[in-house]
Amino acid sequence: MIGSWCRFGAAALFLLMGIVFMALAVFGVNRFHKALNRMHAAAMGDTLGILFVFLGLIVVRGFSFDSLKLLLVILFFWMASPVSGHMISRLEMMTDEELGEIQVIRKNREESLEEKIDEAV
Amino acid sequence: MKGIEEAYQLLFMGAVLILAMLIIISMIRSVKGPRVADRIIAVNMIGTMTIMIISILSVYLGENYLVDICLIYAMISFLGVVVLSKVYTGVFLKGKHMEANMEAIEDNIGRQGERSGKEKDVRE
Amino acid sequence: MSRRRDNYENSRWRRFKRWLEGEIDPLTEGGVGLSKAPSSTAASLEGTDRGREPEEDVALSPGDLEKDVALSPREPEKDVALSPGGTEPDTLPALREPGGRGLRLYRKFYQIMSIFLCLGIICVLLWTIAYLPAFGNAGNPDNNEVSARYIEKGLEETGAVNMVTGMILDYRAFDTFGESCVLFIASCCVLVLLRIDDDGGSGDAEKRKREANDRVFEPKNDIILQKCACVLVPVIMVFGIYIILNGHLSPGGGFSGGAVLGSGLILYLNAFGFQKTEQMFNGRTYRRITVSALTFYCLAKSYSFFTGANHMESGIPLGTPGDILSSGLILPLNICVGLVVACTMYAFYTLFRKGGI
Repeated sequence: MIGSWCRFGAAALFLLMGIVFMALAVFGVNRFHKALNRMHAAAMGDTLGILFVFLGLIVVRGFSFDSLKLLLVILFFWMASPVSGHMISRLEMMTDEELGEIQVIRKNREESLEEKIDEAV
Repeated sequence: MKGIEEAYQLLFMGAVLILAMLIIISMIRSVKGPRVADRIIAVNMIGTMTIMIISILSVYLGENYLVDICLIYAMISFLGVVVLSKVYTGVFLKGKHMEANMEAIEDNIGRQGERSGKEKDVRE
Repeated sequence: MSRRRDNYENSRWRRFKRWLEGEIDPLTEGGVGLSKAPSSTAASLEGTDRGREPEEDVALSPGDLEKDVALSPREPEKDVALSPGGTEPDTLPALREPGGRGLRLYRKFYQIMSIFLCLGIICVLLWTIAYLPAFGNAGNPDNNEVSARYIEKGLEETGAVNMVTGMILDYRAFDTFGESCVLFIASCCVLVLLRIDDDGGSGDAEKRKREANDRVFEPKNDIILQKCACVLVPVIMVFGIYIILNGHLSPGGGFSGGAVLGSGLILYLNAFGFQKTEQMFNGRTYRRITVSALTFYCLAKSYSFFTGANHMESGIPLGTPGDILSSGLILPLNICVGLVVACTMYAFYTLFRKGGI
């Protein structure tokens, strides 16, 4: 009896962690301002959220053929999600018109910082 | 023994409900997102959460075959992201008459840099 | 005609009539009765000559151009001027640059109405769900003697553990044959509409060149995607074959397994390009696989129906339920349906991207 309650506790902990990660990902996607930042938040949900939710389900299921399939889904996600993130980031790099300006602005800032340091010295 | 079954039921239903609400929230971004990449990210995340819901339901209902559907869903959403990003990159670069390679990225950024530099000259 | 007013050419009725007769397009030259800008009235005065080249009108009037840029802030202003060595500079801006005020109004109206349409459909569907009978209710209209027969005698008559496959490939196999034929016919229709021939006239050659030009702009030979596809495509293919072969034992079957196989093919195509994929899968392969699968399906099911209708022994062993090689004709029919579906998915994709298989 205590063992099954322990299993329930572990499963609930994992599931809640996964859902919290997913909620953080959704929050980040709605909160960030640039698509590349949003992608960073979404990738966290794709890896950690999936991992913890499926670990919770594996704990519920115990050791069986179905938990093997759930593990396969996790593996597939970890293979596929970085690649899809790479594709989206390349799309963004190729099509975003304002990306260059940001980099240029940052470069100018760095230069100005260096100049300030030079002046201070 | 009855208490633990009810607890499991409550846990799964709560998880599914929260995920459904999260799907609706991320749908806002998929409608609002100013760029195509934002929409693709949001739709991809909706797919991820749908896979979670299906897997939770597979354990909750005790139906093993729903895990197969998870796998198929993951495949199709990955394929959708790949095809969509590729097609849209092609469409965009066709409008610019640029070929797709690393030079296109550098060209995109470099030309923007030149333009903003020119604007700054004008301002000065 | 003496009573004809001076501003008859500008009056609403005259414009409406001209629009009705197809002389002017109100979307490219301002609204029907809405536009009072001098440029659009001048354009509509000259009628059909200008109507053929609306993009020049837009490009000539600087005020319109500014508005257009303001309407689509993502488009750079120097788009046309910057294009180095553009082969068709005229067609693209004509598509992209919106016309007068009418088109803008139409677009806003379209956006708002699309939102309302989506909301309306959602409300209607939710409203309908509320009226559906409860799930699993014994008094539902689908709980009649047909499904009772399927459930009680399905396993012993078809030999399939998965009841749904036994239904669609044994009791209702004729229906499924029609579905696969519909898939084949749909891909044939898309082929007729979208195919670009080699041996056409000069216009076709130009069209083909333009289509090839379209594909030039896509990113190719992405090494990350290729390495990922090297690992994922075999897994996807094996999973699709597993779904097809286990169609009579577990949920799945020809349609879903074929879709998975087709998606694996499309992923390979996206990673490695058309040239490499055509080495293993071209139009001839498509034709052979589809026609032979459909013919085998037709012959096998005709034999089965013929013997069944005449109360003869078909001679096809049902095997023990639960084995891979069991349930008579269902396994080969599943394989046929899966092949047809996979080929159709791949053919649709290549036809829309390239204009040929």
